[in-house]
Amino acid sequence: MICCVRTPHPSLVAAWLMTPALHGRPLILGGLAHERGSVTAASSEARAQGVVEGMSLNQAQQFAPDATFQPVDEEATARVRQSLLLTLHHFTPDVAAGEDPGCAFLRLDRLALRWPDRAQLLVAISRAIDAAIRVRPAIGVASSMFVSKVAAARATAGAPVIVEPEQTRAYLARLPIDVLPLDDDLREYLELLGLKTIGRLQTISRPAFRRQFGLKALDIYDLALGTDRRRLRAWRPAVRIEASEPLEPPVDNTEALQFIARALAERVSASLLSQGLGTRGIRITLNQESAPALKVEARFAYPVTTAGELFDGIRPRLLRASIKAPLERITLRAGRLEPAYVRQPGLLVRSDSFKESIADAVARLQEEYGPSLVQRAEVRSDAAPLPDHRILWKPA
Amino acid sequence: MSRRLSSSLLWGCQMPDRLQQAITVLQTRFGSAAPRPAALPCPVRPSGIPELDTLTGIGGWPIGRLSLLAGARGSGKRTLAQRSVAAASREGPVAYVDFPSRLDPEFLRHFDARLDHLLVVRPKSLREGMASVRVLARAGVDLICIDLPRTPSLGLDAELPHLLHRAAEADCTLLLVHDADADDAIRYYASLILSFQRSAWIFRRDGDLEGLQVDAAVVKNRLAPPGLKKQWIVPYPIP
Repeated sequence: MICCVRTPHPSLVAAWLMTPALHGRPLILGGLAHERGSVTAASSEARAQGVVEGMSLNQAQQFAPDATFQPVDEEATARVRQSLLLTLHHFTPDVAAGEDPGCAFLRLDRLALRWPDRAQLLVAISRAIDAAIRVRPAIGVASSMFVSKVAAARATAGAPVIVEPEQTRAYLARLPIDVLPLDDDLREYLELLGLKTIGRLQTISRPAFRRQFGLKALDIYDLALGTDRRRLRAWRPAVRIEASEPLEPPVDNTEALQFIARALAERVSASLLSQGLGTRGIRITLNQESAPALKVEARFAYPVTTAGELFDGIRPRLLRASIKAPLERITLRAGRLEPAYVRQPGLLVRSDSFKESIADAVARLQEEYGPSLVQRAEVRSDAAPLPDHRILWKPA
Repeated sequence: MSRRLSSSLLWGCQMPDRLQQAITVLQTRFGSAAPRPAALPCPVRPSGIPELDTLTGIGGWPIGRLSLLAGARGSGKRTLAQRSVAAASREGPVAYVDFPSRLDPEFLRHFDARLDHLLVVRPKSLREGMASVRVLARAGVDLICIDLPRTPSLGLDAELPHLLHRAAEADCTLLLVHDADADDAIRYYASLILSFQRSAWIFRRDGDLEGLQVDAAVVKNRLAPPGLKKQWIVPYPIP
């Protein structure tokens, strides 16, 4: 089952968080009333007076003369959106951001063990969002993203709408075709045919619908039956793992630099470890006293977490870096984060009789210094007597 | 560490109770200045050459430490190192860091080496070679033999502490083969230095070279009394 959580537009939520007195009053976001521009978001009180998104601000003022007009705070809006998704991410990693702002989806299937009672789970989600962004969401639960979104649009803050899979078709049947994502032509065509509800659309057979409206319109037909083939694209919280150290007095010898780099590698490693992540690339920024900052990158063949492995990648690059002035600051930033690499246990030895870690080490050395650095020899006794012919060298 | 361990454990032998009590009292009073064993027990890896195992005084190459095989060209040190590599390859993964690029795998195979357990590193620079040793040691290679170039190795003194730290962490045995007189840094960091000298060539009756007679001496030994000398015949493999 998919749960759709719908909150007011995040820019509205951001404005309410900044000025709680605006809550419950007509609020129009997009710019000041006298400015040229259009409405980005409007509170339900403003909507009740006829204001809709996309309308010019001037026109909106005519509809709602007592409304408060404000420009959109993009940064605060993004923070609200992140906060909403992060709150849901604490319940399950199967979270996706919806196309509409203020709309998010989460898959409930994996929560069945922890939350056997779905009603309690929905209450907990609602409370968590209320605690995070001070808004009670409308929640819809259904078997697909489309149906859950439709259900959420019809739910209220205290009363979630749950559509069981077997009721999906019947639930959609009574809704107008406007809930479907129709283009203008198709909408006009359906209206001309007198198909005003999804239920009427469902009575048409699939081949007949295809003949009439073409292959592209079949997606709409499937949605009308409650089948949504879109996959939930999991949202991942932005993770920034960085360690930095100012050097006072500036450092001008490599021994000290290595010592500090090792300490920073340990800090980065601890952060990675706490989140179960590995990095496939470390960016080292060396701020020089009287020269431009140097940026060096170390890449790894597989996600690396431990301080030793990180430092092994960093050290040769630090020693090779053309440092021209004493260093004021060194920063390590872990990039290309992936779930931490799962090592093959020692019990399972690869067919080439080397441990997995040795194979990794060899791959890393070859990536850094070239494939000819580490080789394996094979002696072919049946070959010509010349040593060059008898011994076959190949990259390990 | 010594204060926490019981004396008999530390010394690796049974002692009379009164002596043990006396040592405990001294350790409590004087800490590191108290009597302690000349060398702590060190895990060893048999070299595969009984004479060499006897000479080291501990029964093989020390694990997690650096051993140096020094001597002029033709003194048999590389043959002995390669025999040790061959013996270790029968037990697990080994690596040979071949700076001069003169390793002959066929020669190793005559010593029953498992070539599928052998990684040959052919670095272009000292830094490349030392980085390889560090990475391979940590990855779990049991024994790494470093065949150094004849020319002086600039920067080796800076690399050796890192190398030894990593080898000690990973319980990896390091063998260093050096033709010329070893640098002071190598002499300082090596736990065991064996010096080799050829005293005679050994020929078969048909005139073919059979091996060489080697005079070996322990120049430095941190794990057992140094100064031991031994002479034996190192046979060349029969193709």
